[in-house]
This record gives sequence, C-alpha cells and structure tokens, in this order.
Amino acid sequence: MYLLSLLIFIPIVAGLAVILIPSRYSGSFRVLSLAVCLIQSIILILIFTEYNSESGFQLIEKIPWISLDLGTWGVLKAEYFIALDGLSLPLVALSVGILLIATISSWTIDKNRKGYFILLLILNGAIIGSFCALDFLLFYVFFEFMLLPMYFLIGIWGGPKREYASIKFFLYTLLGSILILIVIVGLYLSVKTPDASDRVVHTFNVLHMQDAANLISGSALALDSTSLLGPYSFRLWAFLLLFIGFIIKLPAVPFHTWLPDAHVEAPTPVSVILAALLLKFGGYGLLRFAYPIFPDSAIYFSWLVGFVGLVSIIYGALNALSSKDLKRLIAYSSVSHMGFVLLGIASATVEGVTGAVYQMVSHGIISAMLFLIAGVLYDRTNDRLIENYSGLAVKMKSYTAFVLIAFFASMGLPGFAGFMGEVMIFFGAFQSQSMNGLLPTWMAITATLGLLLGAGYYLWTIQRMFYGTYAVRNSLTDLTDLNRREYLMLLPLALAALLFGILPQLLLNFINPFATEFVSTWFPFEKFINP
Amino acid sequence: MELRLTEISDSAVNLLPELIITTSLIASIIIGLIITKNRQAILHALALVTYLVTFLIVIQRWPSQPSSLFGGMLRLDDFSSFFKLLFLVGGFLTILISTKKKEATASEYILLINAIVLGSCLLSMSMHFVMVLLSIELVSLSSYILAGFGFDKKSSEGSLKYFLFGTVATACMIYGFSLIYGLSGTLDFSASQFVSTLSNSSSTLVLIGSFLILAGFLFKITAVPFHLWAPDVYESAPTPIVAFLSIVPKLAGLAILVKVVLAVNLFGQSGYPWQTIISVIALASIVVGNLSALPQTNPKRMLAYSSVAQSGFLLIGLATLSMEGIHFLMFYSVIFLLMNFLVFSTLNQYEHEGEMLTVDSFAGLGRVSFFPAFSMLIGMVALTGLPPTAGFTAKLLIFSSLWASYAETSTGILLILFVTGLIATVVSLFFYLKIPYFLFLKEVPANSVPTKSSGSGNVLHLILVIVLIYLFIQPGVLMGWINQITFVL
Repeated sequence: MYLLSLLIFIPIVAGLAVILIPSRYSGSFRVLSLAVCLIQSIILILIFTEYNSESGFQLIEKIPWISLDLGTWGVLKAEYFIALDGLSLPLVALSVGILLIATISSWTIDKNRKGYFILLLILNGAIIGSFCALDFLLFYVFFEFMLLPMYFLIGIWGGPKREYASIKFFLYTLLGSILILIVIVGLYLSVKTPDASDRVVHTFNVLHMQDAANLISGSALALDSTSLLGPYSFRLWAFLLLFIGFIIKLPAVPFHTWLPDAHVEAPTPVSVILAALLLKFGGYGLLRFAYPIFPDSAIYFSWLVGFVGLVSIIYGALNALSSKDLKRLIAYSSVSHMGFVLLGIASATVEGVTGAVYQMVSHGIISAMLFLIAGVLYDRTNDRLIENYSGLAVKMKSYTAFVLIAFFASMGLPGFAGFMGEVMIFFGAFQSQSMNGLLPTWMAITATLGLLLGAGYYLWTIQRMFYGTYAVRNSLTDLTDLNRREYLMLLPLALAALLFGILPQLLLNFINPFATEFVSTWFPFEKFINP
Repeated sequence: MELRLTEISDSAVNLLPELIITTSLIASIIIGLIITKNRQAILHALALVTYLVTFLIVIQRWPSQPSSLFGGMLRLDDFSSFFKLLFLVGGFLTILISTKKKEATASEYILLINAIVLGSCLLSMSMHFVMVLLSIELVSLSSYILAGFGFDKKSSEGSLKYFLFGTVATACMIYGFSLIYGLSGTLDFSASQFVSTLSNSSSTLVLIGSFLILAGFLFKITAVPFHLWAPDVYESAPTPIVAFLSIVPKLAGLAILVKVVLAVNLFGQSGYPWQTIISVIALASIVVGNLSALPQTNPKRMLAYSSVAQSGFLLIGLATLSMEGIHFLMFYSVIFLLMNFLVFSTLNQYEHEGEMLTVDSFAGLGRVSFFPAFSMLIGMVALTGLPPTAGFTAKLLIFSSLWASYAETSTGILLILFVTGLIATVVSLFFYLKIPYFLFLKEVPANSVPTKSSGSGNVLHLILVIVLIYLFIQPGVLMGWINQITFVL
C-alpha cells in the first residue's frame, strides 16, 4: 500500500510543486498546504485501520537504496526501510495532527508566503520520515533535512533577534547530529547483515544493529572488545556520543540554551512544531537507537541519564519561574517536562519507558497549545512580557478558559494527559531501585519537586496575567477574544489533552507492547545490573 | 636509457589526448594573431570542442591496460585517465563561465588554460621525477600569469606572491629530487631499484628528501603549511580563474601526491611514519582552513580558506594509505569539482564587471532572484557536507575509510583526525552559511542595484545542482565506476 511513503512524500512533492507556482497566486500556497495536511490525516486513519497493536513493526517498506563496493572491507548497504511500531505510531500521529494545526496557524503569514509554505511542507515530510526510518543513514538524512527549513523558518519569519537565534539553533543541532554521525560511521563498519554471504555486508539497518549477534567480532564496537580509549571502552563512548547528540535536541541541561532563544524568536507555528515535534527526537533517538543498540552502555550510564533528567526538571522549572517573557517561560517548562522523559527512560522499567513515550505525546499536545496561546496574545499586542498584562480574564473569557486548561494540563493535574505520563514515570523511577537498582530513590523523590515548581510558575502566571484589574501596558489595542480560526486550533488540542488524560488506554494500547519488548532487551545484560 | 624510435611512435599514439590539446593550444596562438573579428567566440568554441573531443577519446579508451610510455617517463592507466577527465571537465566549465570582457578577449587566456590542462594531464601520468618537474612547471608558470589576469595592482600582487611562494616550493622539490636521486640512484619512482635502495638506506636524508618533494605538491593542493598564497590569489584573480585554479592544479597535485606518497612509503616498507605525517598535514589543513575562514568577509578569501580545509578532507583518503581510501579520495575529487564550480560560478554570476564583493553585498538578493541564490545555497550545503547533496556522501565515505583504517591499525592520530574532522564540519557551517544567510535572511539595502541573472548560467547551475543531488541518491553510479580502477604503481 505504501501508506507510509505517501505520508512522507506527499508534502515533499507538494513543496517542490509550489516552487513552480508563480508567486502571484499567493493565496493558493496555504490552501495547498492545508490540503496536504488533510490528505495526510486521511492516510493516518487508513494506517490506524491497518495497524495491529500487538505485533511489532508493521507497514514495512524496504527497498534497496545504496549499495557500494568498499573493496576489501566488503559492501556498504543502506536501505529505504520504513515501518511503524508502538513507539513511532503515536509520534507520527502526533506529527500529522500538529502539522495540520501549525498550517492553520500559518494562515496569517504574509511575508513571502511561497517560501514559507515550501519550507513548511519539506519540514513536514522530513519530520515524519525521521520518525518512520529504520535505517540509520536514512534517519540521519531526514534528520538533517529538518535543519535547513527550520533555520530559514526561524531566520526569515522570526522576531527581532531571529538571526542570532536561528544560527544558534543550527549550530547546536548540527553539533548534535555530527556526534551521532561519528557513531553511525563507526557502527555500520562494525555491523554485518546476518545472511551468510562470501563478502561482509555492512548495513545501516537499525534492527540488525540492535542484535548483538551481528556485531563483527574483533571490531571496535563488538561486545567483547577490550580496547579502551581513556577511561571507557568504545561502546561506552559511542553511547555517550549518541546520548549527547540526542539530548541536545531534547534539550536537556546543559545543552538547552538554544531552545529559549529559538522559541522566543520563532513565529508561532514554528514554535509549535519545534516544541511539539522536534524536541521529541531527543527521546525518540534514545529509545530507538542509543538504548537498544548499546544496552550494556545504557545500563552503565543510567545513573547519568537519570541525573541529567533530574537536573533538567529542576533547573528548567527554576528558570521558568524567573522568566519575564511568556514564551521563554513556556520554553523552560519544556526543558523541565522533557527532563521527565529522560528520567523515565533511565529507570529502564516498563512503567518508566511507557511513561516517557506517553509524556512525549502529551507534551506534544500541551506545548503546542501553550505556544498557540502565547501566539494569540503576541498577535494582538506584539508584546510577550508577563508584567505588562493583568486582568485579561475580564476581556478575554474563552481565551482564559483555554489558558487554564493548558496550564493545568501542563502542570500535570489528574484528568489531563500530562498527569498520566508523569505518574507512570514516577512509578518507574520509584520502582527502579528495588527492581533493577539503576536509579536511586532520592532521584525520584527530588523530581517531585519539579511538579511543585511547575504548579508554582503556572499559578503565579495566571495570577499575574489574568486576575486583578484589566490593564495592558505598552499597547493601545483593545484586546479581543479568540476568533474562529483560533478556536479551530485550540479546541482539538484541549480535547486531546483531556481525552488522553481520561482514557489513557487509547495510547497505552500502542505504547505498552513497545515498552515491554524494549525493556526485555535488557535481559541478556542483567549481569551488568546485578554484578 | 635507451629509447627506440618505434617506442616513441608507439607511445605517441597513446598520447593522443595530450597531442590534441597541444594542437589546439598552438592553433589558439595563431588565431589570436590573425583573426580579429569574433575572435573571442572562435577561441572559446575551439577550446570547448577540444575538451569535448579529448574527453570522448579518454572515455573511449576506458578501461585500459596500464602501459608505460617513453621508456617509463609516463604511464597511462585508469587512475591517470580518471583525473584527466576531471581536468577536462574543469577546463570546459571554466571556458563556459568566462564570459566577462576582461579575461575573455585575450587569446592568451585560452592558451594558458590549455597549457594548465595539458600540464595537469601529463602530471597525473608522470612516473619519473624529471617528468614531474616539467609538467608541474608547465602548470605553475601558466598559473602565475593567469592569477594576474585581473590587470590591476591587487592582481599583480597576488600573482607575484603566488610566483614567489611557488618558486620556493619548486626549489624545495628539486632539492628533494636531488637528495633522493643521490640515495636511490634512480629518478623513476616506480622502479624496483627505488624501493630496494631506499628501504635499505638508514639515512634520515630519505625522510628529508621525500618531505621536500612532497612540499612541492602540497603547495599545489594548498595544504597547510603551504597555503599562504591562496587567499591573496583567490581574492584578486578573476573568478573563473579562481574556480579553475582551485580545482584543476589542485587535483593534479593530488594525483601525483598519491603516487609519490605511495612510492616514498615504499608500499608499507618504509621505516618512517608517512601515515602520521599525512594525517598531521590533513589535520592542520582542516583546522587552519576552517578557523581562518571564519572571520573572512570577502567571499573569495573565505573560499580560499575553505579550499585549504577541503584539501585536508581530500588528504584523509590518502592518509589511510589503503586502496579504498584512495577510491574515496577520487569520489571526493569529483564531488569537490562539482560543488566548488557551482559556488564559484554562482559567485561569478553575482559579480559585476571588475567589482569586488563582500558578503554584505549579497544582502537580500535571494528575494530579488531566487535561482542563483538557491544554487549558491546548494553549493554551500554540499561544501559543508550535509544531505541531500553528494558532499555528504563524499564525507561519509572518506570518514568511513578513516575509521576502518583506525580500527585496523589503532593509530591514535587517525582517531584524532576522525573526530576533529567531523567536528570541524560544525565550525565550517558558520562560514559556509554566511553568504546564504545574507542572501535570504537580510533585507535588501535601499540603494541596491538588482543583479541581472543570465539564463545560460542558470542552466549550468541547474545541471550541477541536479548532479550533486543525484549522486547523493545514487552514489553507486560513480563509485562502481571508480571501483574498477585498480591502482598499481
């Protein structure tokens, strides 16, 4: 059926087609873009009807792509290999939904529409491609393919400091992906395909890479390799590089500094995509590549992973507390919430991993809502400073209602999606010490502080901006409540945040089989856990 | 050395491509003297046809059995034919983009380009130090004059600097030849006598002499520490010439460097750490080139340093001292030719007659006309080594060979080179993106003149862009072809 390929390539082809449409039909670009997103939604529904949540990778498409003769080293083989499983399906579904909303949110873009929608469509395809790719090279290509559109989207359509923010975003992310590339090069030369052939076939196939039996014995990344580089073996180094590469994207402290800048300067739809989708590649990369390929190293460093997560939770929340700019506050709250993802992954328990994936999806929904909310205000006043507003509840009733939903959902109030994710992560983190001894209990206890701080900065913001007497400083415009387009964007997100809070089974059906299988890959490495 | 007349006549047949270029070279002198009307068009057409015909002849002889010509002075094999094809493409493209008045009217212009292509072809075939010297001088002397083709003070300065550095490098090289000749008793570096005497010699002069020889080639490929001439020459010479000089002599230098390094490494029997020496030069070129390019505001100076860094990447393939590494080096050479030409040719399109550009003069031009800016972007993305361009594939392959070589030998310097080289990509992004940054992100200044965009230039750029993307999707097409080349010195 090629459903996945259609999902990936319809936007890319449409983006290239837009190049050919003369700029004077500027109204057609957004309509075309919207049409693409609607078609993608239909394809997504078809995918759900085909998908069976019990049986691993599905909708597999596998076509040979590159086959290069490397002389005495054998053959390099890369494939166009895409499929979905319980990890990628929720994220792909999230992507389709968020990109649709981002396109609606882009309706008001006036500056150079043609360029904007070309980049948006290409970004669309690249995001979904990265989530589907099961060939490391293919993933890398899609992953890099997101960078240039994102750079230009922030750099051209962004706020006053957009140039600085866009290059910072690009440099950080490229550094991360180069670290990943270093591992890819080392890894594919250490892995061969299982089928017996007279020549060694080096593969980028992630599933082959995950199977320790395919590591070429004697290669630097083999399990039994004894060669050290400084304090660590090559496997440990490779995991560390992947870890750093992906947490730059996540982002986790101390590699998070690009995020507030990028968010503050990016236009609203781009902020939405950045927060809801691009940050997810951090967690996705760890779950798909770093952990399954180097489970032994992951166990070895689980304390570090958990600790980085913990620091991100607390430090992000503290920064959010002190932010004066509404968008910056939301950006730092993202850092804090993505810290939970790291904590869940580090616990290496079924609950923790399920919670991490759940948290990624729920954060995708909620952060999109938060950035849209910030955008609503910014569209009206061109001002995002919290101190310049008070008593907004008087003038903007339904806006305030959505803000309350989004803030409470993000705080992790029961009944909202954010709660389910965080609670499962805490289950995992608290269990970890007794189950596998990877995370000390104090990490889980300290992490609860993050919830407290989260409630603190959100409630304080509500108090400052929405209660009291109505006043808007530095702006003469009279504020109006939400218009129909804004309803159209916020309502589905609010409903989704509630739905996944009340009926977690909808998502768990997909995530749970993945998490169970994921954790089971640790069994051969129990010796690392209890030496 | 005994040379029979029949051998000369037999060899001459194999030298048909070079003979055609020589004929064309002489013809262009004569045309320059007697024809005044439409001289430019005739000269350009002649050169283009020459390169095309020569290209076809070289292709038609592919693949060929290696044959020794003129008593071992030259050797015709697929390795040299491959590089010859690159030189011819380079020459062809240079003539195509030389449309400006100043450089194009003089018949010497075509003549000198012909001479460099001829010298490069001979250089890539040389198996004898005297032949190396002759052909490298043919390339060098012509390059010095071409570098001065801006006909202004700055251009003369660049040309003179190039000449002075070049002569010193050549002098070093000749001194090296004499030392090695004294130690080995032969100037033919593929002779068994060369290997056997040098591997038995314990004198450090072997190392010194060999290194002095390499200095001459490193100068040609602008590797650190022999790169100092490049920024001045690149800045002042006409842009088509810069494109030409950054590709053809560099690749010619690279071809002979590969041969000579394999020879002085005595095919693995040398007691000296040639792998480390080449790695250090590659590392220095990457680091110095990338860091020096960062603060540049003149695009051509910036590209000069970029070219230094690219030499470093090319040298990585050689540093592995493996067949595969050299294959990937050849792959990289092709991609380098394409992407460098794309960038310089677009730059040329943006330049008005005789005007020097700074990066801020690109401000907002991406919105004035999209396609040239897009070509520039793709060229720069390819030079950085990002997908979806073949620049990525080339870097991936060359770093793969480096890792494989490290995994085999565990030489520390290779790992340092591996990590530094990849991290340098991040640094390089900063300056490679500078021009696209101004093109797309900056506003058009109020008093700017819209740039004309020539249709023919755009077609050429479109072809280059398509090839760069195609070779990313299907690198096997080119690689399969390169893999056929068995390289035996």
